[in-house]
Amino acid sequence: MRDVIVIGAGPAGLAGAIASASFGLKVTVIDEFIKPGGRLIGQLHQEPSGEWWNGIKESERLHQEAKTLSVDIRCGVSVYNLEKDDDLWNVHTSIGTLTAPYVLVATGAAEYPIPLPGWTLPGVMSIGAAQVMTNVHRVEVGKKGIIIGANILAFAILNELQLAGIHVDRIVLPEKNPLSGKAGEPEEVMKSLLNAAHLAPSPLLRMGSRFMKNGSFRKIGMKFYPKNGVKVNGTPLLLRKAAIEIIGTEQVEGVRVADTDENGNIIPGSEKIYEADFVCIAGGLYPLAELVAVSGCPFQYIPELGGHVPHHSEMMETPLEGLFVAGNITGIESGKIAMAQGTTAGYAIAKHAGKDGAAIDKQLQEAVQNVRSVREQAAIQFNPEIDSGRRKMSELWESLYSKNTRENSQIKIG
Amino acid sequence: MNNNEAIVVCRCEEVTYGALRFTAEEHQCTARELKLRTRAGMGFCGGRTCRIPLDRIIENVVSNISQGDTPLKYQPPIRPVTFGTVGEKND
Repeated sequence: MRDVIVIGAGPAGLAGAIASASFGLKVTVIDEFIKPGGRLIGQLHQEPSGEWWNGIKESERLHQEAKTLSVDIRCGVSVYNLEKDDDLWNVHTSIGTLTAPYVLVATGAAEYPIPLPGWTLPGVMSIGAAQVMTNVHRVEVGKKGIIIGANILAFAILNELQLAGIHVDRIVLPEKNPLSGKAGEPEEVMKSLLNAAHLAPSPLLRMGSRFMKNGSFRKIGMKFYPKNGVKVNGTPLLLRKAAIEIIGTEQVEGVRVADTDENGNIIPGSEKIYEADFVCIAGGLYPLAELVAVSGCPFQYIPELGGHVPHHSEMMETPLEGLFVAGNITGIESGKIAMAQGTTAGYAIAKHAGKDGAAIDKQLQEAVQNVRSVREQAAIQFNPEIDSGRRKMSELWESLYSKNTRENSQIKIG
Repeated sequence: MNNNEAIVVCRCEEVTYGALRFTAEEHQCTARELKLRTRAGMGFCGGRTCRIPLDRIIENVVSNISQGDTPLKYQPPIRPVTFGTVGEKND
């Protein structure tokens, strides 16, 4: 008899499996990919401290720890439905239906595109796809690339492409229109990048960051933004150029780019074609919560967290008995936060399953506290307003469920 | 801008930006209604790719609507599966 099914073998899911199994629960982890680690296995970067974050090593460490605790990990398995039947959750998968009283959904995030003319040509990919090809499959994505969209994820992956010796020729913005939204407005882009200036993509951004946080200085800054861009580890970041069209007959041959004014409006007659054999579109990430949605869990739209997120407590419970969530499905943040949340969810499951009182309470509280402190120490935030988003969710939870939850847990443990 | 009308937004069902804007303007509808009228988001990928662009089109065209109102629904199966897989007996 299995106690817990974890869906997703990324940082949140593996950490959750380890925490539950450490209290003696029998855990099965399912993942769609051929090996565990989730998005961790694409990550490689240097922390502000100088230390390297090697996602492959992290995922191997988690995998080993899970195996030591006899966690059953099944890769290459897709889940297509999740529903409850009396006391058990039914997890419908490509290898049949698995059941357990507790389910942790840790399905992470998905990328969204910024559609533009020519984006369906071979050679155009999402920035995340370039990361997977480079760091997971070790396939060279091309000889000369252009990134459309300047955000934190694009910079992190640009750096990884550079480490792999792949030439990224330039970064431009998408054309300002309803499909690109703020990603096409130079000033908004600059504002979002400043929060990561200490990641130091460029000395100019770093030096100018405090001064550029002021709105009117920022306007002036955008007006006089260098036409040839600012170099990010050697790749020009062109905030005053917008991609109009990706061109090519059989595959990508280049990008038609126009100059823009400081508000992102195209300057007529300024179009130029830059050659490239691959193009990465960096739209952004949103919580991939399909399974929790089909299970019937209520959702809230919180833009600071990246979109629609399932209602959940700080202990990663959902309003549905036995259903827990962790990682990017609850809001777009780093892999370290996902791990801390996974650990919290794993202990919360052990507590709900009636594991020893005092020890589990202490560990659960420490785990909740640890999520907060990892967040405070985070070097980069995908959304600078993440704290406000997290606060909204915990207030929502307090107002809707907190009394219920307390009664339920007392009954369970008693 | 004319060039943009032809952008394929939903790749599975090949629904263009022009068609989506026209429908949204004519019916001043929610994202869910836009999906039902055009099939955008109803293809093989289950709307995982074009969900956010669809929301953005509605937000841009219809006043007083935000992504929080009547979001696109999810329905099982959330992955493409064969009839054999869905129809199998449990255990």
